[in-house]
Amino acid sequence: MEKYGIGQPVRRKEDVRFLTGTGTYIDDIKPDNVAHALVLRSTHAHAKILGIDGTEAENMPGILGIVTGKDWIAEDFQPMPTKSAVNKKIDGTPLNQPPRHALAIDRVRYVGEPVALIVAETVSQAQDAAEAVEVDYEELEAVTDQVKALEPGAPQIWDDIEGNFCLDFELGDKEETEKAFKGADHVIKLDLRNQCVTATPIETRGAIASYDKDTGKYFLQNATQNVHANRDTFAGVLKIPSEDLHHVAPDVGGGFGAKNSGYPEPSLLLYASKKIDRPIKWISDRNESFAADTHGRDQATTVELALDKDGMFLGLRTKTIGNIGAYCWTVGPFTPTGGSARTQGGPYYFPAMHYTGIAAFTNTMPLDPYRGAGRPEGSFQIERIVELAARELGIDPVELRRKNLMPADSLPRKTPMGLDVDTGNFPEVFERTLKMSDRAGFAKRVADSAAKGLKRGFAIAPYLECTGGGPKEFAGVKFARDGSAALRVGSMSTGMGQETSMPQILSDRLGIDFDKITYVQGDTDATPIGGGHGGSRNMEVGGSAVLQCANEVLVKAKQIAAHLLNSNADDMELSEGVFTDVKTDQSVSMVDVVAASFEQSRLPDGMEEGALDTDTIYEREIISCPNGCHSAEVEVDPETGSVNVEHMWVVDDFGTIINPMLADGQVMGGIAQGLGQALMEEIIYDEDSGQLVTGSLMDYALPRADSMPKMEMAFFEDAPTAKNPLGVKGSGEAGCCGAPPAIVNAVLDALKDDGVLHIEMPLTSEKVWRAIAEAKAG
Amino acid sequence: MPVISLSVNGIPVTAEVEPRLLLSSLLRDHLGLTGTHVGCDTSQCGACVVHVDGKPVKSCAMLAAQADGTQITTIEGLAQKGKLHPMQEAFRDNHALQCGFCTPGMVMMSVALATEQPDLDEAAVCKGLEGNLCRCTGYQNIIKAVMAGAKAMRG
Ligand code: FES
Ligand code: FES
Repeated sequence: MEKYGIGQPVRRKEDVRFLTGTGTYIDDIKPDNVAHALVLRSTHAHAKILGIDGTEAENMPGILGIVTGKDWIAEDFQPMPTKSAVNKKIDGTPLNQPPRHALAIDRVRYVGEPVALIVAETVSQAQDAAEAVEVDYEELEAVTDQVKALEPGAPQIWDDIEGNFCLDFELGDKEETEKAFKGADHVIKLDLRNQCVTATPIETRGAIASYDKDTGKYFLQNATQNVHANRDTFAGVLKIPSEDLHHVAPDVGGGFGAKNSGYPEPSLLLYASKKIDRPIKWISDRNESFAADTHGRDQATTVELALDKDGMFLGLRTKTIGNIGAYCWTVGPFTPTGGSARTQGGPYYFPAMHYTGIAAFTNTMPLDPYRGAGRPEGSFQIERIVELAARELGIDPVELRRKNLMPADSLPRKTPMGLDVDTGNFPEVFERTLKMSDRAGFAKRVADSAAKGLKRGFAIAPYLECTGGGPKEFAGVKFARDGSAALRVGSMSTGMGQETSMPQILSDRLGIDFDKITYVQGDTDATPIGGGHGGSRNMEVGGSAVLQCANEVLVKAKQIAAHLLNSNADDMELSEGVFTDVKTDQSVSMVDVVAASFEQSRLPDGMEEGALDTDTIYEREIISCPNGCHSAEVEVDPETGSVNVEHMWVVDDFGTIINPMLADGQVMGGIAQGLGQALMEEIIYDEDSGQLVTGSLMDYALPRADSMPKMEMAFFEDAPTAKNPLGVKGSGEAGCCGAPPAIVNAVLDALKDDGVLHIEMPLTSEKVWRAIAEAKAG
Repeated sequence: MPVISLSVNGIPVTAEVEPRLLLSSLLRDHLGLTGTHVGCDTSQCGACVVHVDGKPVKSCAMLAAQADGTQITTIEGLAQKGKLHPMQEAFRDNHALQCGFCTPGMVMMSVALATEQPDLDEAAVCKGLEGNLCRCTGYQNIIKAVMAGAKAMRG
C-alpha cells in the first residue's frame, strides 16, 4: 500500500498524463482561428540596420502582418528592465543598462536578435515570407569574448557605454585577505574558464497570445517558469495594467532557468494578436533555441589560494569577468557578481576571502540564470584550486580537503562572504561519501584499467550551495463537500513533481486522501502572487507556504471537530485523518469535519460556510544552504583522450526530504547537466564574425544514456534547517555544483603521472589528448 | 495531393496530404495526437518516436506519404482499456520521467527494444536509447525502467 506522507517516495500524479500522451504542452494547444508567427532574427553579430523592406513579403500568400522595430518605437513600447539584485557599481553609481526592446531598433548586437515578427496563416507561409524580407545591414566589428571586450580598442557595443562595462562588484574583506596572502607560506594561482553553455530543455520555448476586444484583456499561454513576474514585464512593455494580462503556463517541458526570464517574443505576440484580432502562436524551433534561449555560465576567472606551511587555508581571492551578452537580461548581471560571490570558498573554513566580479557586454546572446547561476561556478573555482594546491604541494587531495572543512562545531557560522550557514555537518558528509566510494578497491581497479591501457582517476568534491528566487509565496486551498481539496500554489514545477510533493505535504498535515487533492500552478488568475521556479525555491518557499496553509486549516478544523464533539479544540489530536479528543476518546473524521464546514448548523459561532478554505502567504527570511559531496571515478584512454565517467557517489544534505524519489531525480538530473558541462557542452561563437558555431543539436553535444556513470546517492538528514518550517534546503541545483569539479579533477588525477595540471572544460577527447601530448612535449 | 490510407492506433485513417508533410505533423496537427512530441529539427532528440508496422521510427524523419498502408502506434495507443502498458507502468514506478517531454519517444523506443531483444541488458538499453535525449532525469532511472518494463513484458 502506497503511503503519502512527508518522506515517502510517492509515485507522481502527473505521470499518468505524461505517460499516455495526454499532457498539454504549449505546442499541443490549438485555438480556433489561430495564426502563426515567425521571428526574423539577425544574421549578424553586430550591424546597423539601414532599412527593412517588407513590401514583397507582406503581399505574399497568407501573410497577416509584419512588425519591425520602427513600428515598435512608433507605439512607444517600453524596454524590459533588468531585475538584477546587484544593480550598483562599486562606486555606488547604477549599473550601465542599455534599453532592451523586444525588437532591434536600428542596430543588431548578436546573432539571433529579433528583427521582425512575421504573422501568417501557416508556419510555412511565414517561413517563405521571411526569405523575402530585405534587411539592409551595415556590418560592424564584433567582440564575443568578455575579456577582449573590456580591452582598450575593443568594438563598442553601446555608444554611450564606455568599454562594454556593465558593472563591477566586490564582497569580503579586501585588506584582511591581502594580509592573509602576505603571511602565507604558499600561494597557488589558477586562471580558468567556466565555459558558456545553454540549458536546452527538450521542449523548446513557445507561446500563444490572444486579445479579447469585448473585455479589453489579453491572454497569454506560455512555456515559462514564472507567470507573475513575466506578466508584469510584458504588461510594462505594452503599457497596460497587469490585471489586463492573464498569463498561464501549461505543462512545461523542462526549464532549468532558460524559461525563467522575460523574453521578447510574448510582447510581440500580444501586440500582434490585438492588431490582427486573432490568436497567434509561436513555437521556437530547435536551431533557433541555441541562438535565442538565454545562455549560462561563461566566466573567466583568476582564483588564488593562500595556505600556511601545514596546508591550512588562510585566504581566497577570486576575480571573475562574466559575459552577460549584448544586453542586461532579466537578472543577467547578478550571476557573475552577487550570484557567484555568496558561496565562494565552498564548505571550507576561510579566515578571509575577497571576491571581485565584473559583468561585461559582448556580441552574444545574453546570459541569464542556468541551473545554479553562479554557485556551480564558485564550486568549480574552489575545487579546482584546492586540487591544484594538493598537486603542487604534494599533499593528498583528500587529506587537504579533510583538514580544511568547516568543523561541525563551527556552525552556525557566517562565512566571510556573509552566507549564513546554520546547520550541516561537512566532515560527516565528506567521510560518508568517501566510504561509499570504495577507496579500498581503487588500487585494484587502477591496475585493471592499466591492463587495458587505460588510466583511472578519482576525485572528491564537497560543495556548499545556497538557494535563491523570490522570498514570498502563496498557497491556497479550497475544499469541496466530498472532502476533496483544490490546492493552488504560486511556485512552479516544470518537471520536478510538485503536483505530487505539494499535495503530499497537505495530505500529511491534514490527513486528507492524497488522491482527492488537485493541484493548480502557473496561472496569474489562480494565485494573487507567485514566484514561479528558480533558485531551488519550490519546496523551500512554495512547500513552506503549503505547510503554513495546512497549519492554518488545521487550527480551524480542530475548532470544528471540537464543536462537533462538544469539547475543546486544544484536546483535538489528528491522526490518519481522524480527530480524537485526548480526554474522552471521542472522534470525528476530517472528511466529516470538511462536510460540516459546509453546513452552517454544524459550525461553531463565528464561522461561516466554507470556513476551512484558506489562503496564505509565506515569506522566507534567510536563504538555506544545501550542501553535500560528490566523488567520481573515471577512466581515460590516453591514446584517444576519451573520458568515461564510471561511477559517482553523492551524499547530499537537503535538510528534510519530502519525497526521496523526487530528490534523487533532482540530483541525477543535475549530475547529467554537470557532466555535460564537464565533458561535452559548449556554446561557441566564431571569434571574428561573431557567428554562432554551435547552432544545432549536431554541434552542441548533450549527454546520452551511455554518457552516464553509475550514480549512487544518499541523503544526510540529520541537519534540517530552522530557516523554514519544513526544514528543507533546496535540492534542484546541487548536481550542477558537485559534478563538474568531481569529474574534471578525477580526469586530472588519472593524468597526474603525465604532468597534466589543468584542462579547460569541456574535457572533450581532443582537448584531453592534446593536453597529454603537450605535457609530454614539455 | 496524394491520398493515403493507414491505421493509427487501430483506427483506419484516410487523409489527403501535402507531399512534404511529415508523419509527426500528420499525427499532431491533422489527427490531434499530440502525445508524439517534436523536440528538434535535425532528427536528434527522439521525442517523436512512434511504431510503424511495429518498428520504432522517428516520425519527424518520415514523410506522411511514406506511411501509406502502414499500421502506426503512437503513445496514445499503448495503454489498453485504461490499463497502462507494462513499460509505462515501469517508467512510473522508477521515476523515469520528470517534465515528460521526452517520455512518449522514450517509452515507444523502449517498448520496441524490449520486443526486439526480450533479454536485453543495460548496455543494450543504453545503445538502444542512443537516439533519445532526456534533459531531466540523468537516464539512470530510464535504464532501470526499461529493464523492469522488459521483464514485465516477458511476463
Ligand atoms: S523531433 Fe527530434 S528526433 Fe524527431
Ligand atoms: S523528462 Fe524532461 S526531457 Fe526527459
